[in-house]
Amino acid sequence: MKIVIVDYDIGNVRSIYSAFKNQGIEPILSNDSEVILNADGIVLPGVGAYSHAMKNLKKYNLINILKNYAKTEKPILGICLGMQLLLEESEEFGITEGLGLIKGRVVKMPIANTFQTKLPNINWSALKPNFLKWDKTILNNISLNSEMYFIHSYVAKLDNENEVLSVTDFHNVTFCSALKKGNIYGCQFHPEKSSQIGLKIIKNFIKICR
Amino acid sequence: MKRKSRIIARLDIKNNHVIKGIHLEGLRKVGDPNELARKYYNEGADEIILMDAVAAYYDRNNLSEIVKQACSDIFIPITVGGGIRKIQDIQTALNSGADKVAINTQAVHNSNFIREASQIFGSQCIVGSIEAKKVSDNNWEVYIDNGREPTGINVKEWAIELENLGVGEIMITSIDNEGTKKGFDLELNKIISESISVPIISSGGAGNISHISDLIIASNIDAVAIASILHYNIEELSTIKKKLNEYQDIHVRL
Amino acid sequence: MSKLEAFYGLPNEVKFCKKCVISNQRPSSTIEFKSDITEKKSVINFNDKGICSACSYNEEKETNISWSQREQKLLELLDQFRSKDGSYDVIVPGSGGKDSAFTAHILKYKYGMNPLTVTWAPHLYTDIGWENMQEWMHTGGLDNILYTPNGILHKEMTKNAFHNLLHPFQPFIVGQRIIGPSMAKKFGVKLVMYGENQAEYGNAIEENTNPIMNMDFFSSDDELNMKFGGVKMQDYIKSGRYKKEDFLPYIAPKKEDLVSSGIQVHYLGYYLKWDPQECYYYAVENTGFKANPVRTEGTYSKYSSIDDKIDPFHYFTTLIKFGIGRCTYDAAQEVRNGKITRSEAVYLVNKYDEEFPKKYFKDFLKYISTSENEFWKTVDKHRSPHLWEINEGEWKLRNKVFEI
Repeated sequence: MKIVIVDYDIGNVRSIYSAFKNQGIEPILSNDSEVILNADGIVLPGVGAYSHAMKNLKKYNLINILKNYAKTEKPILGICLGMQLLLEESEEFGITEGLGLIKGRVVKMPIANTFQTKLPNINWSALKPNFLKWDKTILNNISLNSEMYFIHSYVAKLDNENEVLSVTDFHNVTFCSALKKGNIYGCQFHPEKSSQIGLKIIKNFIKICR
Repeated sequence: MKRKSRIIARLDIKNNHVIKGIHLEGLRKVGDPNELARKYYNEGADEIILMDAVAAYYDRNNLSEIVKQACSDIFIPITVGGGIRKIQDIQTALNSGADKVAINTQAVHNSNFIREASQIFGSQCIVGSIEAKKVSDNNWEVYIDNGREPTGINVKEWAIELENLGVGEIMITSIDNEGTKKGFDLELNKIISESISVPIISSGGAGNISHISDLIIASNIDAVAIASILHYNIEELSTIKKKLNEYQDIHVRL
Repeated sequence: MSKLEAFYGLPNEVKFCKKCVISNQRPSSTIEFKSDITEKKSVINFNDKGICSACSYNEEKETNISWSQREQKLLELLDQFRSKDGSYDVIVPGSGGKDSAFTAHILKYKYGMNPLTVTWAPHLYTDIGWENMQEWMHTGGLDNILYTPNGILHKEMTKNAFHNLLHPFQPFIVGQRIIGPSMAKKFGVKLVMYGENQAEYGNAIEENTNPIMNMDFFSSDDELNMKFGGVKMQDYIKSGRYKKEDFLPYIAPKKEDLVSSGIQVHYLGYYLKWDPQECYYYAVENTGFKANPVRTEGTYSKYSSIDDKIDPFHYFTTLIKFGIGRCTYDAAQEVRNGKITRSEAVYLVNKYDEEFPKKYFKDFLKYISTSENEFWKTVDKHRSPHLWEINEGEWKLRNKVFEI
């Protein structure tokens, strides 16, 4: 089985690679269209600025490749910025267009940034269910309120509540921490950095890819 | 409302050994970096910090191999610091598997380095590291080169400046308290936590669990870095977290 | 090519130890009050493998010595001298730096002795030095006598020592060596215990196997001919400014008096395996010791020898006379104790050894009533041609330690 980590010079791919390897699959790092389209599942990593990431996706011709891949309905896992890229646009530094695979936009965490409410949100925080059941998703058998590692200042605001797989609190804000649309998954948190529970989520994704 | 805190294991490293000094002096060997990192990960550390303790002496950061190894068995965030001087050093650290880099001396020499680094790699990768030495009441001075050279710069002002330059987090180490196991510098942490709006990692002084709980309750810091208490087997990390969670006002991940 | 002149009778060819970074120019301890500029310096010994005697001794220390046996000897020694009536039973000379802090504290709190610490005052206390000295008492729980000699005489002797010998610390060392036995005699105490043996660092190996300090170092039978800064005591007195009484702090007890009082001087470093870095940790944890807040000039550490503003000039003058600065001493010792590799030591020495100690330069000049010009004139006079040359208008060392 082939799992491909999209390589576009963004994100901590080594950690994601190690996490998958730890769970029994050695992923391939690639930006080649054939390799990606033939994958059984792909992971879209990402850290840093939205516009920079989109620029790099464009540079490697990946925007169309990813859209085409999505049409195959094979699994995708977007991590952190990678999840945010799945949406239509981001308001970080002006409006930047995303991949548009999920309806909604990326906005700044809707809270004043003060001494009491520091940003970025760097925390281990609990995942709470929304309307979707977690069975057979990447959150299969994950206990409620499991804490995952978050590091972000922007959040995804989905148009469709039914695509919000889990929500998480940051002070008085509740934001989307994981999404699911068919086989498209996104984690705002870093499963590859969330200790044993994170590895379970990776394992779940691998299962879905089979 | 409960105060949340991350508990971070800090490893100061010289060549292939974890060392532990007092007041950032002394290189007593206390263990193997990868063994200890794995141990603390298994005991529930929220993050690991790997500092090259002698980078200031030898003008280089030497941790790539250790980081690579750590990254392959440890699935929590890893921060690397000590001798990060060029953009290439940051790239090397991240390529080895680090999630964040901590920068002190070079930021003081050239503040533009922080601005550039956070633009290239993103703020969340850049931790502004401050070594603070008390000068008088409510007045701390910034030190560089692993606590060896004074700069004449006020810590609070520098923390605010670092935030403006684009760091995603600030790590503040009390030179006076670190390695002493006598507790944190509560005033220092309180003042800094009330001056900036990026998360703060507090480092230096933990000798027992109440030092840590006192710190979390008394100030608005977001994470606690501990070293001596772990390396000298004073308390196990899992016990620390368990006991902290027993406080009504504190929440740590179990 | 003609051989370059070597001052002080130093070996003409400069060699560096293959294990640590010390050079063969390192002088051994001398009897300071006989010290004269014309004397030939005896230096650290290198064996035929190019290894210095300090490293050889260190190997011995690691392998051939039974430390449990040595500690047993210590217990027997202390049992002999431990007081039964609550009086002081051991004199520990020191400044409250990490070594004397360790020595005094462990003798009291582990070995049950009743020490009196005695301090030969630094020329000019640094803030951190004073604090550490106080903490030694307040936190360490020890008794102390601080003995400060007549400043006018001390300054003049130091000035002479600087200009005549380029060894400003010479008068200080005279007083420092004898304060232990002198105080022992005054208080009726028979045991004096120092910390480490200087032989650890390169004095004759035989000294290391003998725990008792050579009496010649601190006893004299010919007082008026004792030299301070290269000037005889009788010449200071002839000037009319001083009387013999002024020299009391520097006059060593007579040998026969010491012998008849039964006074013995020992090194703790003979009985316990000495590790200066571990003394630092011990001192922090037990006697309130704090390292220098900043890196000490001329070296990389923060915990060595930090109580006297004049101290950096002692090392600066060893740099001029022997090509060996403070960093070389610190690094060599840390290589032997396994804290750093030789390669790292080479890097550090090349980085810090020649750093000029400017922080207290003005204080030093004032102390020895010397202008900056006069300072450099004296310094340059003492640069041995076999060590120094002028390159592009600047003085440069001919030989610097390198990687092998």
